[in-house]
Amino acid sequence: MKKNVNVKGKEYWRSLDQLAETPEFQEFLHREFPENASEMISPVSRRKFLTLMGASIAFAGLAGCRRPVEKIVPYVIAPENVVPGIPKHYATTMPFGLDSYGLVVENHEGRPTKIEGNKKHPSSLGSSNAFIQSEMLNLYDPDRSQSVRLKGVEKEWTEFVAFWREIYPALLETRGEGLAVISGAFSSPSLYRLFEKFNREFPKADWSVYEPVSDENIYSGIRIASGKTVRPVYHFDKAKVILSLDADFLLMENESIKANKGFAAGRRVESEKDNMNRLYVAESVFTVTGGMADHRLRLESSMIPAFTAAVAEELSRLGLPIDLPFPDIKDTHRKFDRKWINALAKDLLKNDQQSLVVAGRRQPAIVHSIVYAINHAMGNAGNTVTYNELKDSVIPSLESFKRVADKVNTGEIDTLILLGGNPVFDAPSDFDFKSLLKKVNHSVHLSMHVDETSEMTEWHIPQAHFLESWGDARAADGSRSVIQPMIEPLFGGHTMIELLNVIISGEDRRGYDIVRETWQNIFSATEYEKKWRGLLHNGVADADAGKEIDPGLNSSSLHTTVKKFKFNQSGASINDLEVVFMASPAVYDGRYANNGWMQEMPDPVTKITWDNAALISPKTADELGVKTQDLVRLTYKDRDMIIPVSVLPGQADYSITLPVGYGRRSVGRIGNGTGFDVYRIRTSDALNFDQGARITGTGETYLLANSQDHNSMEGRPLVREASLDHYRQYPDFAPEMVKSPPLKSLWEDRVYDEGYQWGMTIDLNTCSGCNACVIACQSENNIPIVGKEQVSKGREMHWIRLDRYFAGDIDDPEMVYQPVACQHCENAPCEQVCPVQATVHDDEGLNVMTYNRCIGTRYCSNNCPYKVRRFNFFNYTKDLGEIIKMAQNPDVTVRSRGVMEKCTFCIQRISGAKNNAKLEEREVLDGEIETACQQSCPADAIVFGNINDPESAVSKMKKQNRNYTMLGELNVKTRTTFLAKLRNPNPELKDYKININ
Amino acid sequence: MAQIFPKWTNKLPLYIIIGVMFGGMATVGFIWYYGSPKYTDVGYRPEQPVEYSHKLHAGDLGMDCRYCHTSVEFSEEAIIPPTQTCMNCHTLIRTESEKLLPVRESWATGDPIQWVRVHNLPDFAYFRHSAHIKAGVGCESCHGNVAAMEVVEQKESLSMSWCIDCHRNPEPFIRPPDDITKMNWKPPTNQLEFARKVIDEKKIKPPVDCSGCHR
Repeated sequence: MKKNVNVKGKEYWRSLDQLAETPEFQEFLHREFPENASEMISPVSRRKFLTLMGASIAFAGLAGCRRPVEKIVPYVIAPENVVPGIPKHYATTMPFGLDSYGLVVENHEGRPTKIEGNKKHPSSLGSSNAFIQSEMLNLYDPDRSQSVRLKGVEKEWTEFVAFWREIYPALLETRGEGLAVISGAFSSPSLYRLFEKFNREFPKADWSVYEPVSDENIYSGIRIASGKTVRPVYHFDKAKVILSLDADFLLMENESIKANKGFAAGRRVESEKDNMNRLYVAESVFTVTGGMADHRLRLESSMIPAFTAAVAEELSRLGLPIDLPFPDIKDTHRKFDRKWINALAKDLLKNDQQSLVVAGRRQPAIVHSIVYAINHAMGNAGNTVTYNELKDSVIPSLESFKRVADKVNTGEIDTLILLGGNPVFDAPSDFDFKSLLKKVNHSVHLSMHVDETSEMTEWHIPQAHFLESWGDARAADGSRSVIQPMIEPLFGGHTMIELLNVIISGEDRRGYDIVRETWQNIFSATEYEKKWRGLLHNGVADADAGKEIDPGLNSSSLHTTVKKFKFNQSGASINDLEVVFMASPAVYDGRYANNGWMQEMPDPVTKITWDNAALISPKTADELGVKTQDLVRLTYKDRDMIIPVSVLPGQADYSITLPVGYGRRSVGRIGNGTGFDVYRIRTSDALNFDQGARITGTGETYLLANSQDHNSMEGRPLVREASLDHYRQYPDFAPEMVKSPPLKSLWEDRVYDEGYQWGMTIDLNTCSGCNACVIACQSENNIPIVGKEQVSKGREMHWIRLDRYFAGDIDDPEMVYQPVACQHCENAPCEQVCPVQATVHDDEGLNVMTYNRCIGTRYCSNNCPYKVRRFNFFNYTKDLGEIIKMAQNPDVTVRSRGVMEKCTFCIQRISGAKNNAKLEEREVLDGEIETACQQSCPADAIVFGNINDPESAVSKMKKQNRNYTMLGELNVKTRTTFLAKLRNPNPELKDYKININ
Repeated sequence: MAQIFPKWTNKLPLYIIIGVMFGGMATVGFIWYYGSPKYTDVGYRPEQPVEYSHKLHAGDLGMDCRYCHTSVEFSEEAIIPPTQTCMNCHTLIRTESEKLLPVRESWATGDPIQWVRVHNLPDFAYFRHSAHIKAGVGCESCHGNVAAMEVVEQKESLSMSWCIDCHRNPEPFIRPPDDITKMNWKPPTNQLEFARKVIDEKKIKPPVDCSGCHR
């Protein structure tokens, strides 16, 4: 075997500050805890401090005499099957617009504490994402609306029902004249049944569907090309070559979990003999999908349509029978790199029926039409992408929303029902929705918070969280699942189903009865009860997925539309900047704004917490003369706003990305005033992107709490990466990247060869950096949030973080991720410096942390090479409300001020599984213990298990030749190892530098 | 020549003696208090809302512990029984008893009886009843002879060193499965031999690492 010659590898850098070697970065490097990190937040003088301390010692003496009396409150009548101390798991479903994710929720004595994916559900496949994980906190949000309101005055639900019964007969008589409904998109048998009933009862009423982050273009595009409204379902696992056009399918597009799983399956290699897929990405903003790309093209979003047409033309030139008119775009496409497009087209053609082209929801319908035609011509349709009948669904339609808005304006609407949504905040700003609401006689708004819209409507109805609701949903592939409540509505909320039923019939019925009625038409009468119970158990109904259909191609409609479309020829420039509106990976469209976990979650790419910022490329920033944290004035059309700038390498030049959903005015204590409201410059003619923006500096700066530079690791080969070719040539490149003298311990090493020995591997080749593990860990391990100010001091508490490194050219870098939690070193440096033995090893090889011994010297953290230890500078959980406390996992100690904490490998799960095995008189099975991060990972990149068992999945992973230890030369003998990352560049484009102009 | 030691140092020995005396007294007091049952709560015997007698039920009537503490064998908690369990019998027996008034009230109103916890471990220590029962540790080993108590009281210190003592040397406390709930159990003469056999068979390895109980 040849030896690896390229031992140095790529040079990685973490941020622009590091490249520039600024004093701020140097400071971060050299101080484990940044300046002031250990000082108290409010200036307390030494004298005051001593006074306080003296007093508290005196009181401690008094209070310490007697432990507090604790009560045990048993049931009066014990519910069947509930045993205190043994959690119950129930299946349910999380609806998310047209999507739905099957879940299994852990309940402790009737209190849901942890959400996990349901393996039986086609859209979650046992995994989850950060949004799903964070719903646990949404359920217990104390800022949720607690009562029905009539013009701001608290009322009862029955009073609302009485009100509706008063106006109901008149509405029924006029067949719904003057009645309009605005809802979000949904896909649910029960809701759709009610929707149809509504249309029957009120044929003259108007129902419109609005989503601020909408998939409408996808459906319109396919309708143009095929004449049918069908739902595309992608099978990334079957695709060998993938082209993504402004689509962040691994994180922000719909069905991201399934996409992540499929993509990882196609990318996973076990040895150098395996093949892996290849990903081409053309996008404006750097996304996690772009980070996984083998070839990435930076391109303004507004140039993507022309680029798509250019690809189609190249494919056609190379012999693909694709019949499209290309005349108008000849000029433009000279601007694109012909060699790149040629190589891409050849690669796609070589893998016909096994390639896949996807376009993002941001892109106009025309792009989706062309993509449809390409997939159709290549034979991908039916293989890597299938089309499902769209049943029980209403899809978003801006046109319907505009129609209702116009009708309100002209006074045609008397009663307006808003089923969820928050249009006062997120509707296109040219609608001026706030003043529209003043023009209707009656308005009713269903929402979780008394939000911007609720404040303006006549009635506000508190909405029940989905974990408190009865309902149902249809997944992307058409299979039906049930939403069942884990807990009674905490704040007396009502579901959309219940409200809609009142609207239609004037009757106040329980959601349970309505849903059961729907399913009476689905299951046969004789087997109804049995099947219903089966549904509640599995969460998913028997395989009754929607039919796969071949929608065919409607060339003439496609022809006319493409011909009519004016492809952007010029692209953006410094005087004609592009704005791109993007759903935020943290708050989505604003609905997660009051969720502390999501606010504090570092953005996957920028690593900014608690804020949004205008993302621009380094070149654009240079030309504009602005830098990160500068507050700028962004002028677009006749609107302008102030927003801080964040310079993001890899961003398309002259394109500004604006994450929406921040700057909420009325949602709660976390979300109010956090970030900057971008919706105010978003108009209905350019919901996704447009050119014509200008940026001018204001001379002011704004602090962005960025976790980027914290805990840096100084450019050693921490992430190891090679091309597939290099790997095939040098299969052992990863472990050989670092040469060290023979490793010898100063003392005799403890031998761990008995019983269970826990270990973990993380496959960097499949990890996309999606953040699911970060929030899953936070939920499982009672990790507090600390707030923007504390994060800016480097005190965030996440036990697992995603280190994101850039490599290569500053304008067009590659991006890699490395999830880092405690590595559980056998020869742990932290243990050697702890003066009180608060961190020690157990005989299963875990580095354990004993909170009640810790005196908070922080020596361990200073000595940790991986910087994974977190210190409680304050008692972050002290002021948690009673409601939020319910989200805490009872199996994990809640830490107090002054103690160190870190990843435990989910020791509570290990302990639980070991105990169950003991009770059943067997050994713990491989795969029985899943750590929270592993469980949530949609890419299955994390594997945990017993490394003492050579047959366990983790042992087998560790035997792969890509396996390496981060900083192994320190001889710390980590239990967590990584599998090196691979890229699979097209040999034709090897070391090819893309020419964008 | 100037004096090396200033004048106040004449009193230094006195200060030292007083200091040592106070220090010594503080140390003695410290150990006296923190080592005493007053700190460890041995003998803690709070008044309960219902004058329930374990002596009568478990002792004289000979009811098994598990009639009420149903989940002790398979859950980490042994549970305090629901009011329903009391009413299984007391709808027929002593239906007029004064002592049972709170139970009947609870049954009628649906408000639970609030018992006072006697054996209270700190929140950072996780104890599993099921694991101990499975291993063969008798109830009596930790709770004392409950069947002889009119009012339940804490018999053992429940301190960490007390736990660890047994975890390091479990042999004297391991019983045959049938004897687990027996009170006044006397180990047989071949206890050591028996215990070692059980430990081998069941692969009992009481954890002595922090992670055994703290997470």
